[in-house]
Amino acid sequence: MDATALSALLYRHILDARRTEARELLARAVEASGYEFALRSVLEPSLALLGERWSENSISLAQGFVAGKVAEDFLALGESHWPEAEVTAAGDGGPARIAVMGNIEDDYHAMGRSLVTTFLRLRGWTVADLGCDILAASFVDKAIEVGACVIGVSAMMLTTARNVLSLRAELDGRGLSGRIKLAVGGRRIQDAA
Amino acid sequence: MTPSERVGALIAGTPVDRPPFALTASLYGARLTGRKASEYFSDPALYAAGQRAVAGLCGPDILFGPFAFALEAAAFGAEAERFDDAPPLVRKPATRSPAGIGSIRRPDPGASAELRCLVDSLAAVVADQGGQRPVAAPIAAPTDLPILLMGMEGWVETLLFEPELAAEWAALAADHFAALASAYFAAGASFVVVPVMSTSPAIMAPNLIERLLMPILREAFGRLAGPIVFHHGGNRLSGLLPMLKDLPNVAGFVLDERDSFAEARQALGPGHLLLGNLSGPQCGLRPAADLEARTRALLADRRTDAKFIFATSGADIPYDTDPRVLERLGSLLGSAP
Repeated sequence: MDATALSALLYRHILDARRTEARELLARAVEASGYEFALRSVLEPSLALLGERWSENSISLAQGFVAGKVAEDFLALGESHWPEAEVTAAGDGGPARIAVMGNIEDDYHAMGRSLVTTFLRLRGWTVADLGCDILAASFVDKAIEVGACVIGVSAMMLTTARNVLSLRAELDGRGLSGRIKLAVGGRRIQDAA
Repeated sequence: MTPSERVGALIAGTPVDRPPFALTASLYGARLTGRKASEYFSDPALYAAGQRAVAGLCGPDILFGPFAFALEAAAFGAEAERFDDAPPLVRKPATRSPAGIGSIRRPDPGASAELRCLVDSLAAVVADQGGQRPVAAPIAAPTDLPILLMGMEGWVETLLFEPELAAEWAALAADHFAALASAYFAAGASFVVVPVMSTSPAIMAPNLIERLLMPILREAFGRLAGPIVFHHGGNRLSGLLPMLKDLPNVAGFVLDERDSFAEARQALGPGHLLLGNLSGPQCGLRPAADLEARTRALLADRRTDAKFIFATSGADIPYDTDPRVLERLGSLLGSAP
């Protein structure tokens, strides 16, 4: 089977939530043609197509979640294959590609954050994923500790989206606003955008 | 005709003097009685007084028990946050992990304070209305209760990748659904209304709905001894009706405002009730003239549909909606041809 056919089959497995079959397909591709081939010619085209269909609202959240899990499985499959430089730096003299991710205080809707974390890692970012219900100060402490250039914060409900303001205030209060960018996501943020 | 006679006649397929109507104004009773929502959803007598005020303001043919699914989750140990002007929400789930199913409590509708309050509130409305108005009991869908108890991610991951654990959760949810619905029917509910959010195409694609969710719905719905109204849960429904129409005990469907009644009727045939589809949440935002125009258009569109009930769709009518809007809607619908 050529790369196009493999990628199409992988795409089908993801749509049908066949995670085991997807993982096995990718493992066979790595075995036969190497990690780089499996990534660039099989996984990435499938994910690109899923991304296109996601932006057209024709991919469900569950299918997006499966895609994230398949990407996670692929990362686990080939951690040793990652070039060191790609993991830690942009390679263009820009800031290190390190992010801190988490759901803001009182927010437990983890799915969006998990997906973004996985896809950042797939693109070579180092991500400190703090999980759910994270205080503003803890985000900033972690970002300083790991040298992050961005904090990604997620909030699903209107009540918890308001808590993101405390993170903005924490960054401003510590004089870090120019150094650490704040990326905000979640349903209410989407609605407001 | 009394509201009960009107709704009964419509269900039986005999002539009615006008189409029945229902406005989802569970929360709104708190506004009309000057109560904080937190008090209102905690006291059956206050709740019944609120629904009486709704009936007095706009005369709907159907009233509702509490639309407060966070209280169902609280009965399992989730932390509910209460508000002055909104229904309670789940603040912290009952478990952080799907594997925590063994550690969460299994509430009995007869013993749990939260479930007792829900059932007693509905019973108080039934008693207060003296049989004049059917009372509907909102209940969390068996496919959605796990979302309230462990969060969306945990439930979706479990459904997709942990079939044995998913079956345990489905059994827990179905047992609760059957027990609480049974308590509602015993308390006088005319039907249960089940908003099903997890069948949203935005959450689950139809192939996954068929494979993962339909078996749960069939099993749980089949255990009820009374009728179910399947509520769209905030999502378009008409495209899924061919899949959903044979679910056991489902008497009707509440459509989303974006759904087409014509398509829905074509998919279902003449037997099922169709309810909808003026957006309840938008009642507080749209100009009165716009609401009236939409209402008239909907009534005109459905004038030959013998199984149509005008209803608000989506979530509860917001607390801050101007009462004159509902009064005017009630007047318009109460004099519909």
